[in-house]
Amino acid sequence: MKTYILKRIGSAIPLLFCISFLCFVFINLIPSDPAEVALRVRQTPVITEQAIEEVREELGLNAPYLVRYGRWLMNCLSFNFGVSYTNPSRTVLGEISRCLPATVQLAMVSLIFVILLSLPIGFLCAVFQNSWFDKIVRAIVFMTTAMPAYWIGLLLIWFVSIYLDLLPTSGSGSMKHIILPAITVSLTYISTYIRLIRNNMLENMKEDYVLYANVRGLKQTNILIRHILKNSLHTCIVAIGMSIPQLISGTIVVENVFAWPGLGKLCIESIFNRDYPVIQTYVLLIGTLFVVFNLIFDIISYVTDPRLRGDK
Amino acid sequence: MWRRLYKNKMAMVMIGIILMTTIIGIFAPFFAPHDSYKINILDKYAPYSLEYPLGTDNLGRCILSRMIYGIRPTLFLSLLTMIGTISIGTVMGLLAGYFTGIIDEIIMRMVDVMLSFPSQIMVFAVVALLGVDVRNVILANVFIKWAWYARMIRTNVMKYKDTNYVLYSRCIGNKESFILFRHLLPSISSEMAVLATLDIGWAILNISTLSFLGLGVQAPTPEWGAMLSEAKNVLTTNPNQMIAPGVAIVILVAAFNFLGDALRDALDPKEKNL
Repeated sequence: MKTYILKRIGSAIPLLFCISFLCFVFINLIPSDPAEVALRVRQTPVITEQAIEEVREELGLNAPYLVRYGRWLMNCLSFNFGVSYTNPSRTVLGEISRCLPATVQLAMVSLIFVILLSLPIGFLCAVFQNSWFDKIVRAIVFMTTAMPAYWIGLLLIWFVSIYLDLLPTSGSGSMKHIILPAITVSLTYISTYIRLIRNNMLENMKEDYVLYANVRGLKQTNILIRHILKNSLHTCIVAIGMSIPQLISGTIVVENVFAWPGLGKLCIESIFNRDYPVIQTYVLLIGTLFVVFNLIFDIISYVTDPRLRGDK
Repeated sequence: MWRRLYKNKMAMVMIGIILMTTIIGIFAPFFAPHDSYKINILDKYAPYSLEYPLGTDNLGRCILSRMIYGIRPTLFLSLLTMIGTISIGTVMGLLAGYFTGIIDEIIMRMVDVMLSFPSQIMVFAVVALLGVDVRNVILANVFIKWAWYARMIRTNVMKYKDTNYVLYSRCIGNKESFILFRHLLPSISSEMAVLATLDIGWAILNISTLSFLGLGVQAPTPEWGAMLSEAKNVLTTNPNQMIAPGVAIVILVAAFNFLGDALRDALDPKEKNL
């Protein structure tokens, strides 16, 4: 088991390097000269050739590409992501950490919604396969996969906030504010997981061990919960765990619909303002999260599922 | 396969919807009752009427006409995206699967990196880098999606390349390119068709989302996502503005999704998914 975990971690490290290199290349591909941008950030009145040359020397921009990448990577590892282009008094780290809590909060609440709703609904759909309940749920699931998330958000705002006047339309602050955005974020994932759990349980129902349990005369509820659910839950929990970074990145659209002051809103604002360091850090952050969460849940699934170990 | 698909009534309805939308989109000037750019400020937010079947928007433009002209960017841009994605993905996948060795290593590592990013973030990163423009949105979508196709095609090529007919073809001295495009490509095309149909729905959603955020199709051009973005601003006063574009997106995407599922069932009747 140890060798597997080490091997898995070993394969993740080059991936992280690739991602960081991609992010580094990204900022070097932008059409403007970084030295010139730095001067503008410092609000130098007249930008001369000589000044640009000096700044270039000062920032180490004349060094070879790979040396600069190394330096940049070391800076990133010590959480020094540079300064925002649009507002030089703010560091990128400050901007990100200002917006991160709101996004994490939204993602967490959405995750709770996803787990609380998709597990029981998927379970019931599998148990009562082809009943009216199953059919209705499948129709809803099919519709939600075709709906753009922002439209769901708009419909919810209109129906719940304006028509029924129950919840605030946008912004953040109280628990009331988080409900609508969280529902919007979680809806797409709920439909995916209902589908996953349902199909997984139906697959498991065909297995021999279920037949054997039936032959032994065990109670149906017992078979369903102790045997089938337990076996299906495993895959689903791993799948849900791996989708946590996706939840965090998936908030971009919803945050902009609900004016939720999180990372997604920051990201879009930065795109419009051409604030490249912020975008770069955001991409780096999400990419790293993605790799790390995949790694963690891969190992968890390996550790908890004896069948995976048996293959080796 | 086609006979099985033909029997599926719902699938035929979906094909009908898609074809109809395409035709209306191509011949938009014939179907649209008004000029989609014509501003008539006196008639803004007009309710549904005979002259304006879906009412008018904040500048008094006919919504039905804008919807009809909006088919063009929505549908054709996503088709363009899929053509780009499939061609790059196919070439990469064929190369990786067929030549193996170092080429395979390089391409598959690239694919790994691409797949390790959440796709949405990648789109935003590319759009941010290249600037806000429709062309860049398509580039971004192609850039993030090709890896999926490359991997799928590589797996399939690996599966087929040691089959007897390929070995025979090589024995009688056919060129490698002939084997690639005449033997291997046809055997994986059906699976590709399923994936592509499902992904057109994805592309429509993605392009409309970017337009909604203001990163895609820009303001005066009629596009469903951009129309919803305008509708968002008047959500409190004129909520009916957001109905038509939203419903249109849902119907079109649902049609593609359903068709994709039906295609998969027709290809492989054993596996009946939802």
